[in-house]
Order: sequence, then C-alpha cells, then structure tokens
Amino acid sequence: MNISVYRYNPDTNTAPLMQNYDINIVQGMMLRDALLAIKQQDESFSFRHSCGEGVCGSDGVNVNGRNVLACITPIADLSLPMTVRPLPGRPVIRDLIVDMTQFYEQYRAIKPYLIRHDPLPEQEILQTPAQREHLDGLYECILCGCCSTACPSFWWNPEKFHGPAALLQAWRFLADSRDQASDERLDALAGPYKLFRCHSIMNCVEVCPKALNPTRAIGHIKALMLDKGL
Amino acid sequence: MSRHASGLMAWLIQRASAVYLALLLVYLLIHFTFYAPTDHAALVAWTQHPLINGALLLGIPLLLAHAWVGIRDVLIDYIHSLALRLSLLILCAFLLITTGLWLFKAIITAEFQP
Repeated sequence: MNISVYRYNPDTNTAPLMQNYDINIVQGMMLRDALLAIKQQDESFSFRHSCGEGVCGSDGVNVNGRNVLACITPIADLSLPMTVRPLPGRPVIRDLIVDMTQFYEQYRAIKPYLIRHDPLPEQEILQTPAQREHLDGLYECILCGCCSTACPSFWWNPEKFHGPAALLQAWRFLADSRDQASDERLDALAGPYKLFRCHSIMNCVEVCPKALNPTRAIGHIKALMLDKGL
Repeated sequence: MSRHASGLMAWLIQRASAVYLALLLVYLLIHFTFYAPTDHAALVAWTQHPLINGALLLGIPLLLAHAWVGIRDVLIDYIHSLALRLSLLILCAFLLITTGLWLFKAIITAEFQP
C-alpha cells in the first residue's frame, strides 16, 4: 500500500513536501503500525507515539483530512489514496510533530483541578452515585488535541479561545459536586473570546477518538452562565 | 469583566432574536406565497393592520441586533487587525442603522397613508 506523508525538517527543508512510501499491510494493522513501518524504511521520519492503545493521546494525526489517533485507527478503515499530515493549525516542529504549547496553555487556563474554599476534610470528599454520574463523558478526555485542532474557531484565535478540549474540562470541574469555585470559573470564561468563539460547528464531536461531546459541555456552561448571570 | 458582558449577552440576544425572526419569516413566506398582495395599495393595507404593523416594527430592531451580533462574530473570528476590525464594525453599524431607519420610515409612512 502506498501512503503519502507530510515531511518537513526546518533545518534542511525550505518548504514542506509530501513523500510517498510503500508498506506491506498485515491483518489488524493500525495506522501507527504503518507509520512505524515507514520509520523503519526512513529513520529521518518523525512522529509522536507512546502507549499504542489510545490512552496517552500522543499520536494524533490528520489522515485524509480527518484528525485521528493513529494507534486505534485500523488501516483497513481508511480510504485510498491515503495522505497523512500533522494536526492542522499548529506550528510544525518536524514531520508529523506539532507544537502543542498553546493547547496546553489553554488547558492550564481553566484551572483543571478541584478548588475548595472550605477546609479540606481528613478523608475523601464523598459523592453520591448521581453526582459522580455527572462526570461521565467528561473525565475520559486524554488531551490528544484532535478536537481543538479540528476546530475552525481555535484555528483563528488559538491564543484567546480556549478550544473544545479545555472547555470540556472546564465543564468537568463546574459539574463536579466537590468543586466550590463555580462563580470564579464562570467569571474567568466571560467575554467574547474564551468560551463564546464556539459557534457549535461540532468538528470536535465528529473527530473525538473517545466519542466525547465538547459541544454539549460548552452548551451546559452557557446554560449555567445564563442561570447564574441573569 | 462581568459575565453579563458582551459574550453572554450577545449570545442570548442572537438566540432570542433568532426565535422571533424564524417565526416572522415563516409567516411572511406563507403570506407572500399564498396571499401575495396584488398591488401596492394592497401591500400598504396589509402593513396597516395593527398586528402586522407591530410585528414588523418589533422585527426591525431584532433583525438589526441579530445581524450585528453575527457580523461582529465574523469580524472577531477573521479580522485580527484592530484598526481594520474597528473600521469594518463602524461601517457595518452605519449600514445597519441606516437600513433600520429606512425600514422604520417605510412602515411608519405606510401606516399613515390614507
């Protein structure tokens, strides 16, 4: 099978180019395996990967125009001709490796940890099963960046708009019964940029490898803002 | 910045106005498809009906507010130069206000025609 791969080395290339590789396909092969086969042919080819089972979120790439996690994407599911590019909208460091600094800065900005104003108890802060259920569909995010880098609003304003991944996590802490900083969190999301650049395009929902729904989470944040703000 | 500020209020205004405009548009489409006025006098008579008159007069500011939020969103998304964005916002505001005044004048004039 022939795969066309985006190649760019800022030290040696003046511009990016697409390079074709022929690899042998075996049954059950994932895209990550194909990229490793390319790496065996050409050691200069670079991409991020680690766990190989959709947990670490390292190997997000864009295949045939769609963001996927290479390790859980079967080659057999991809149409030909196959083109593999880095996640869109991010500065390319080399080949399929992109600079995710802004993505992590936006994640850090939503304060992704529990904030308590009451003194911490000696033991765990308990939740009812119903309260715990509110976190389902939120905590599973592995921060692979497939959603935010598929979001046109994040492409245009990555320094100001938090992006779907960070906003999903913002709702994860707003929805947590143990968190006591709802007002501060909502105040921090005010204004036209951080939250309201989302126009419900839903590319994030389309590409999330964990089948999460950031658009719904963003809708919940807006509804809570409306509830508390008016 | 308060959470009442431009983000939430703009979003709320856009959605609330969209509901009214959608209902008004459906009515207008049905009316002009099946009961289209035959001449100018019939059109004026239609706009003179108090319910129609009120609905159109309410629709104008809602249409302008809806358009303003939409245009502002597009300009915030795509125009990053502050000077260019401000110039375009002022131009759009001028166009929307003059269009609104023209629409108001048309409806009010029609209302007072014999």
